Amino acid sequence: MVHKTIIDELTRSKITKMLGDGRRADGRGMEEQRPVRIETGAIPKASGSARVFLGNTEVVAGVKIQPDRPFPDVGDRGIFICTAEILPLAHPDIETGPPNPAVIELARVVDRGIRESGMIDLSQLVLEKNKSVMGVFADNSVIDVDGNLFDACSYASTAALLTARIPKWEMRGDAPARVEGEEYDAPVTTIPASVTMAKIGDSIVVDPNQDEWSVMDARVTITTNSDGNVCALQKGGSSGFTYDELVRCSELSVSVGSRVREQIRAKGAAVRGDG
Amino acid sequence: MAGARHQNVMPGDVITTGPYRPEEHTVLDGKRILATAVGVSEIRDDSVRVVPLAGMYYPRVKDFVIGKVVSHTSLSWELEINSCYVGFLPASDVFGRDFSAHADDLTSHLAKGDMVAARVANFDRTRDPLLTVQDRDLGKIDIGELASLAPGKVPHLIGKNGSTIRAIEESCRATLAVGDNGWVVITADDPDGLLKAERAVRMIDEGAHEAGISERVRSMLETG
Repeated sequence: MVHKTIIDELTRSKITKMLGDGRRADGRGMEEQRPVRIETGAIPKASGSARVFLGNTEVVAGVKIQPDRPFPDVGDRGIFICTAEILPLAHPDIETGPPNPAVIELARVVDRGIRESGMIDLSQLVLEKNKSVMGVFADNSVIDVDGNLFDACSYASTAALLTARIPKWEMRGDAPARVEGEEYDAPVTTIPASVTMAKIGDSIVVDPNQDEWSVMDARVTITTNSDGNVCALQKGGSSGFTYDELVRCSELSVSVGSRVREQIRAKGAAVRGDG
Repeated sequence: MAGARHQNVMPGDVITTGPYRPEEHTVLDGKRILATAVGVSEIRDDSVRVVPLAGMYYPRVKDFVIGKVVSHTSLSWELEINSCYVGFLPASDVFGRDFSAHADDLTSHLAKGDMVAARVANFDRTRDPLLTVQDRDLGKIDIGELASLAPGKVPHLIGKNGSTIRAIEESCRATLAVGDNGWVVITADDPDGLLKAERAVRMIDEGAHEAGISERVRSMLETG
């Protein structure tokens, strides 16, 4: 039996009542994100890795880079694939086995945010057109669940990619061969930052925690790039957003996202050769 | 140290070799009574038990528990009681003897997510805990704030003859319904009192195994 945590009515009424007064149950401002802590190089054997704490949510991301066959329709570009997994110890609701739709959505939203921002210049990862390219795989493991896994996984993947070192491979005859001892920084063009907002009643809150996540009517995850342009958006939940609310959300995603982006950028600058 | 009344134990530690009855979180191995959990051992009268530092609630008959409705069948509600067992509250307990599974809608009284104060009426190895609300001060909880602590630490929250809980209630002007399963519902008119009471519960949860915790809670309550 898949057990689903049901939020108790006492907590639900407390959250909605406090939001009615313009306050949040955990004392944060409506547009205030929980503290973000990023540690890079969390997995020594990975090409790039990061461990991100978003409040009590914790995610570890690892990047693996190796030669692969390109997709048939884009033979002149490398491959980027982002996955996500929630470990059974992370939350009582999580079971082992194939991912449920929510986890599949998590992986897709994180993947889309990074892919559509064009963070990695995939055209620089080609070994031989239509034959062999470098594949970049970013795998997220959620260690602890306290809501808003979208942003935590996104920051972890972005920080891991930014600090990743790509092993050098070249074509020798028909097959790619490793050039021992040589590696280079990932070709990063921009730093995406995703911001998830929840709608509870008529209020919009940034970075919902697990309790808020359980009572929200709708959510929207907006990813912006370094220029402050929106490059990906995902809406979930049964309720909807008005036009004005969406405009407000996109403004918030730019302002909140820019602060996190600086944090990720600083982590990258400490590791990357180009600063 | 074997034979002391209270000692910190790890699984496998010998608590005593005396003629005692092994109770919760202990096991008899020949003449030795061993701990099976990390916690504090307790020798009382003719029995030995270990109060674990962490873990779920193990139901006992007559315990007062706070439960959360998670589901219902046509005859009973299922309540989460912070345990590996699901608490069952029969519909006839709420609707009375003329309950009809066809005519009465269980959700009209208790819906998913509602909190309930109940008592364990029956529980043994052959059945899940049977709950009842047929007593004074039992039933649905409409207001308050839910806090929680490890079930083994509930006695520390109560204190000797209820001294700690009384101190919290008086200084915070709050009422605490403390379930033996570690869930606590706090009600207070004053938001600051509520926060203070929550902080006290959290302090006890984090430091119940340390010396002088009651005094530390008291000084926190006095200084604010």
